[in-house]
Amino acid sequence: MNRRTGLLFVTPALALFGVFVLYPMVTAFSYAFYEWQGTARGGWAGLENFSALLTRAPFTTDLPRALLHNVLFFVGTMLVQNTIGLTVAFLLHRRARTRRALQTLYAMPYLVSPIVIGYLWTLLLSPTFGPVNTLLTKVGLESWALPWLGDPDTALWVVILVSVWQWIGFPVLLYGAALGGVPEELSEAARVDGASNLQTFRRVTLPLLVPAIGTVSVLTFIFAMEAFALPYAFGGSTGNPAGSTDFISLLFYRTAFDSGAPDAIGTSSALATLLFVVIFGGAYAATAVLRRHEKRITS
Amino acid sequence: MTTRSSRSRIALALGAGALALAACAPSSSSGGDGGGDGTTLTVWSWRVEDKAAYEKIFDVYEKAHPGVTVDFKPFKATEYNKILATGLAGKDGPDVPQVRSYGQLQGTVASGSLVPLDGKVDLSSWDENVVASAKGKTDGKLYSVPLARQATVLFYNKKLFSDNGIQVPTTWDQFIAANDTFLKKGITPLAVGAKDDWTLPIVHEVLAGSRFGGTDFQKAVTTGQKDFTDPDFVASVEVLKQLEKYMPKSVTGVAVTDAMTLFTSGKAAMYPGGSYDLATLQKGNPDLEVGVMQVPPPSGAPSGATGTTAGWADGNFAVNSKSPHQEAATELVQWMATPEFGQLVADEVKQISAVPGVTYSDPVLKQVADDYDKTGSPYLLLTDFRYGSPTGTDLLGKGAQELFLGSKDAKTVSTELNTGVMTWFKPTS
Repeated sequence: MNRRTGLLFVTPALALFGVFVLYPMVTAFSYAFYEWQGTARGGWAGLENFSALLTRAPFTTDLPRALLHNVLFFVGTMLVQNTIGLTVAFLLHRRARTRRALQTLYAMPYLVSPIVIGYLWTLLLSPTFGPVNTLLTKVGLESWALPWLGDPDTALWVVILVSVWQWIGFPVLLYGAALGGVPEELSEAARVDGASNLQTFRRVTLPLLVPAIGTVSVLTFIFAMEAFALPYAFGGSTGNPAGSTDFISLLFYRTAFDSGAPDAIGTSSALATLLFVVIFGGAYAATAVLRRHEKRITS
Repeated sequence: MTTRSSRSRIALALGAGALALAACAPSSSSGGDGGGDGTTLTVWSWRVEDKAAYEKIFDVYEKAHPGVTVDFKPFKATEYNKILATGLAGKDGPDVPQVRSYGQLQGTVASGSLVPLDGKVDLSSWDENVVASAKGKTDGKLYSVPLARQATVLFYNKKLFSDNGIQVPTTWDQFIAANDTFLKKGITPLAVGAKDDWTLPIVHEVLAGSRFGGTDFQKAVTTGQKDFTDPDFVASVEVLKQLEKYMPKSVTGVAVTDAMTLFTSGKAAMYPGGSYDLATLQKGNPDLEVGVMQVPPPSGAPSGATGTTAGWADGNFAVNSKSPHQEAATELVQWMATPEFGQLVADEVKQISAVPGVTYSDPVLKQVADDYDKTGSPYLLLTDFRYGSPTGTDLLGKGAQELFLGSKDAKTVSTELNTGVMTWFKPTS
């Protein structure tokens, strides 16, 4: 097949990608540099929309807080979801018979829409009708019956942990596949040499999992920076209560569609551009570091 | 970005909009409107639930205007702003769009998509706070005809009141005593859902509107004589904190839907909300005997204060500047300012009409309308403090949550509200 035929095959997909992904992205990018009056575009604004994000209320308070929450979401997910995910994958790896069924079971919650998950957990955790607090009270743990989603100290962690609960199947599947790719002979050889189980895992299996850990980390980073549906289902577009479950995507949504400000398109496009730069830059840097690390262990 | 209209279209809209605004006179439209030659006017709205009611209303109009067909097309409320913005920027927009009110109207006005209606519609006998909802802030021109008035109200469960031997309170002490009685009997006195911050400015208006002084305070704030750090306003925020013990436990964790369920299931005696909640409450429990009352002025309220019903206008209709049927569209909007239309809205859509002099068959609606006519005040944070970002309602919503959580006191909440809105608010002198 020559180059031209190849191009012919790619064209339809490329056209769709161009129209529905590339074009909106480029327009959003350009929107950020103009003045706006409703949907009517005004003159060239330069970096004014971006400076508004850094100097104008409510962005001066909301943007750093939302960014912090995205970062905590990433850290929390990395620590809890990916650690548990790796452990579960490792344990499942040894149960050849039940592995498939259990993997499916773990992956179940992410087949449900985050909006539904958020709604269900809101009902479960409701201080007036929720069964969670009723149960805690019944078994004598009254002091644990907290207003989970009503207290800023717990609300963010509820969102993170429910997200972990929902997505746990994702690292289980990825690590499961990666573990399947680790040659059995290597751990066997280590064991023959007298290494304990823990030593085998640390010295043999784990280094070979680094590429998978890297992939999972980068995907988790993108996932955490884009967090929208679940926080929206829990705290609405304002990150209730008192902004404690606010995320950058929610701030974007508020700015673009809720604020009613005449220049909403300009500032929200600037925010979207900024978010894109953060995600792209972060993912790019992380991938570069991982590549180098991979080269070192494989060479 | 979800706005999918192309840039050139928007640029064109800007040019065309400006031209249309400058040159638009009722007689200059393409001919043939208003006659008997088959004009179809499209009306866009976000009230999907009212489709049948509107079709009935427009049947009346079609009968009186042979040849004119009104096509009512509602969209999902949460998507409407985006759909309308795209429609108005392009060529396929409606002739008569339903538009938002007050601050949220300004973006649409600024894009030049609406025809000024000064001289075509006479709203001089209307409530000024209602008319203000339909105007452009910068040019002061009238861009729409208000449809309905919403009001903040305290709903109460008539049966719970009579079963417990409680009269509708007329003084603050009686109000507190009623709350105490319910609390003792294990009934939540005030069903508030503070997890949803947007409800809290409304709760504040219902419970403490007369503490800061309603209309007088609005006049003082909008002219720059007072601001939100005023002791009366701070005290009104403090009222929320005082009443917290009558609200559900861990109130910032309670969703507004939970609060409504508490009320409709008879577990709570009172529900502070808006007149728009009435239909939901009645649907939630058709046997519920709902009454409405005004909260008596809290102790310390400015002298002469009475209980107050705070209101605002909602659901206005306008004329698209790019409509090919300017004349017919204008005529329809003119009809929307008549008592005939207002009465139909009251009877069919079951809302309090913006048109003065309409009568109500629903006793609850009637009382809200009467209360508003007698001792109404503007729902200040919506009518005057949504013209910039951050909005007054957003700030007080979040602030009231922090007040309930104990992380901020009433003074700090009021000061932050003031600082926030003063970044863009310019008082009129």
